[in-house]
Amino acid sequence: MPLLDRKLLRDLKALKSQALAVALVMACGLAMMIMTRSLILSLVTTRDTYYEQHRFAQVFARLKRAPEAVREQLAVIPGVAAVETSIAIQVTLDVPGLIEPAVGLLNSLPERGERGLNRIYVRTGRLPLGGAARGEFVVSEAFADAHGLKPGATISAVLNGRKEAFEISGIVLSPEFVFEAPPGAALPDNKTYGVFWVPYKELATAFQLYGAFNAVALSLAPGASERDVIAAVDRVLAPYGSRGAYGRIDHPSNRRVDDEIRVLNGLAVAFPLVFLSVAAFMTNSVMSRQIALQREQIAMLKACGFSNAQIGMHYFKFSLVIVVVGVGVGAIGGILLGHQLVGMYHLFFRFPQLDFMLDRRVLVAAAVASSLAAFVGVAGAVQRAVRLPPAEAMRPEAPTNYRPAFLERFRIARWFSPSFRMALRNIQRRPVRSGITCLALAMATGILIVPNSFRDGVAYVIDFQWDIVQRQTVTLSLVEPEAARAIADFKHLPGVVHAEPFRFVPVELRAGPIKRRLMFQGLPERGTLSRAIDATPRQLTLPARGIVISAKLGEVLRVRPGDEIVARVLEGRERELTVPIVGLAEDFAGMAAYMEIHALNRLLLEGDRISGAHVVVNKAHWREFLTAVKNTPRIAGCVIKDSLREGFRKTTAESIGLIQKIYLLFATVVAFGIVYNSARISLSERSLELATLRVLGFTRGEVSAVLVGELVLLTLVALPIGLVLGSGFARGILSAVNTETVRLPLVLTAANYAFAVLVVALASTLSGLFASRKLAEIDLVSALKTRE
Amino acid sequence: MSSPAGNAGTSSDAPRPARELLFHVRDVARVYGEGEAAVTALAGVDFDLFAGELVVLLGASGSGKSTLLNQLGGLDSPTHGTLLYRGWNLAMADEAALTNFRRDGVGFVFQAYNLIPSLTARENVALITEICRDPMVPEDALHLVGLGERLDHFPAELSGGEQQRVAIARAIAKRPEVLLCDEPTGALDVHTGITVLEAIERINRELGTLAVIITHNAILADMADRVFTLSDGRIVHERRNAVRGAVGALAW
Repeated sequence: MPLLDRKLLRDLKALKSQALAVALVMACGLAMMIMTRSLILSLVTTRDTYYEQHRFAQVFARLKRAPEAVREQLAVIPGVAAVETSIAIQVTLDVPGLIEPAVGLLNSLPERGERGLNRIYVRTGRLPLGGAARGEFVVSEAFADAHGLKPGATISAVLNGRKEAFEISGIVLSPEFVFEAPPGAALPDNKTYGVFWVPYKELATAFQLYGAFNAVALSLAPGASERDVIAAVDRVLAPYGSRGAYGRIDHPSNRRVDDEIRVLNGLAVAFPLVFLSVAAFMTNSVMSRQIALQREQIAMLKACGFSNAQIGMHYFKFSLVIVVVGVGVGAIGGILLGHQLVGMYHLFFRFPQLDFMLDRRVLVAAAVASSLAAFVGVAGAVQRAVRLPPAEAMRPEAPTNYRPAFLERFRIARWFSPSFRMALRNIQRRPVRSGITCLALAMATGILIVPNSFRDGVAYVIDFQWDIVQRQTVTLSLVEPEAARAIADFKHLPGVVHAEPFRFVPVELRAGPIKRRLMFQGLPERGTLSRAIDATPRQLTLPARGIVISAKLGEVLRVRPGDEIVARVLEGRERELTVPIVGLAEDFAGMAAYMEIHALNRLLLEGDRISGAHVVVNKAHWREFLTAVKNTPRIAGCVIKDSLREGFRKTTAESIGLIQKIYLLFATVVAFGIVYNSARISLSERSLELATLRVLGFTRGEVSAVLVGELVLLTLVALPIGLVLGSGFARGILSAVNTETVRLPLVLTAANYAFAVLVVALASTLSGLFASRKLAEIDLVSALKTRE
Repeated sequence: MSSPAGNAGTSSDAPRPARELLFHVRDVARVYGEGEAAVTALAGVDFDLFAGELVVLLGASGSGKSTLLNQLGGLDSPTHGTLLYRGWNLAMADEAALTNFRRDGVGFVFQAYNLIPSLTARENVALITEICRDPMVPEDALHLVGLGERLDHFPAELSGGEQQRVAIARAIAKRPEVLLCDEPTGALDVHTGITVLEAIERINRELGTLAVIITHNAILADMADRVFTLSDGRIVHERRNAVRGAVGALAW
């Protein structure tokens, strides 16, 4: 080993804790980068492979009923490669072990052979035999897992008013239901909502749909225009009660996967950049100090004939060792955290196999990026050192000149103690160093705000959605809309103390060129259960004319109260109406348009009809109520608010909890690392000053205070900046996840701020104390020695 | 006038005017390291130091004078012997007690001044007056050393002599009983050195502070009440000046 390298190793050993602090901060950035990039790779690869192998369709449509012959009309549309027709019907289920009724989406499977599109992946068991063998179906894995169902188990389903028992022949997955949630729901509710596949004949017969279909999926020929195909499909299906065709981009499951990838893409760049910049700065400060301490050695090496390049390389290698440790720890950390997060994705996304896939290219990129950061960190310091002529370098650096700090211009300065002035002047003498230290601490504070604002946002949504907006116990929906007097039947169910009707109609809303499909919700003018609430939050009265829409829908359609929009009714008799917008409602999942129920029915020209009712149930009669619901074939859906709320809370708590832990770790590492490093450098630069103070009678505690004084000041400045930055991060990330399917409000609480301040203050304090331990090693006698 | 080292400071003819015993030093030794690597820095030193005295410790480099100063100042503890300050055993004192001793009882003057570069002259003194029990007003201390005009200058704006006088002001502002000066003129030219020594002498005379100056410059011996010469960790010579020479008359 060349002697210069041996020197390197020994120098490194002496600086090991500082080098480690830098490496760990670097590792945080790299771990984040490796984790997110790998997750993106895992999700994208898995999704694409799955979609391709299982022939996920590109255009989808739901309709009332069309004869099988229509299939041919669809197949000949230019640009259509394949057509898959099927039946999809929502039914009520009686699941063993579950007291409340569940909702099942039953899809048909071809009698013979495989589906052409949206093929099923069989996890265990087999597909139903079909033909003469009746009473078998396959169930989605998410639902099966939630109930511990295995092939052979039996579930009852109410098919068109008749309760039938089905035996599970297999547990399956489908590319259509990677994200399996009830229509319009923000999160999965696998306990009470499941997807099933039944042989066509059996399902069709039960619903008198034999020889017909109500769902269609199409794949496109290469180069075909999706827009043109959708338009053509809409024309073909218009007479059959189509709710309008849509592409993958509007496919609820696919959209959720895309949203997740988009958020990851943002995180993969933003945070690693911050961490790596901080690491570059730390490398620079450590190396600058090291080089300053080794001025004489550098002069000696130069005097002995070492070239500038050799000396520069020597110090660059020093920081490369830090990079190697950083990349190593970062890669291991990123891979471990990535595995954890992949585990979390299983809560939301169902793929045949979602494995953590290490993005090898990102490892290379990480190594290059951090080497670059280290190089930038070292370059300046090395250049300064090698530029010095040897003779000059042999002499100690000139004493530094100080000036009164800016703050001392004010009258208040009279009350500043000498130690406080020292801190102020030291900060001002090195503005860049102080600024970056402050910024790094602010970042550490800021990143803590993010996950906790998610948590608080979720808590707000839970309260808002299920205490203010929805106050019913249960929402019951009918198989088909019925006459308004059906409300009386709901009121007579055991335990029901109050019931309010609702009418749901699929519509397409249009404002200029922008269109959205959603459910028109007809509700009582001033209902007490499910309500339209504005941002204040106050209840909005639904007028006889006009609609209230989600604020998000207003944003998407670019309309405001007072504007008019066109609504195309997609059910029953198709017609177009122009309606004024009278208010904006606050909601956090999906988009809605509310209308007074009688007004809606008048528009539909169908007389007074209801799609279901929101009911309040006396819990003393809970079991009887649920049993009655299970035994009422007309009821297709039963959503229990509390189980929805609990499912939402549990799922989000689990995923946010993991992210909280990761961010907490990163923030602590950065705060600890930056303070430790700054304190150690300060200790090294000012050892003579500090030893002098000890000789003059300062206690070790008092000298520590002088040592960390400026860091305390910087931390105090950093904390409020961090809170502002963190609020900005949270706002930025939330607006990235603020989609039409799910939104979180920006909720910033005092507790969140307090926690971030506490963590960073604590990490900084502990780190400062830890570094101050080195004060014990200060040689008091050295203060008396002459500096040659 | 001289006496064998072993008898140094034990004689009854103590200095004028005060005779209060401050340091009682008997057979003090300081050995660094152990076994074969052991280095004896002090090999049994005996003397007494009294309030109001001006004492010069002379010796070549490595003679043990700095080690001796460190023992007196509570920066180091002897490995052997008795070291009493006003009857209190410095050799057995713990870290906190030594810090307190330095804080209130001892003023240090360093060869390299060791001022805090980020503080002005006034603030360098105030830094110390803030932590001790009965300090002077910083400005008064600076007036005493003749620096009343340069109170708000930073060390980098002061000459070497001025910096050293700030250091002396800082050392005496706490009204110490002992002023320990380690080669106070070592880094200065003659003219500047004289002004610094005058400041020390004035403090000693006017405040009755015991001043101990260590130096390798034998000429400084003339300004002292007593002069101890060290060699190989022992006092090899003690001299008593009947009359202290005027500092202004010194030349080297």
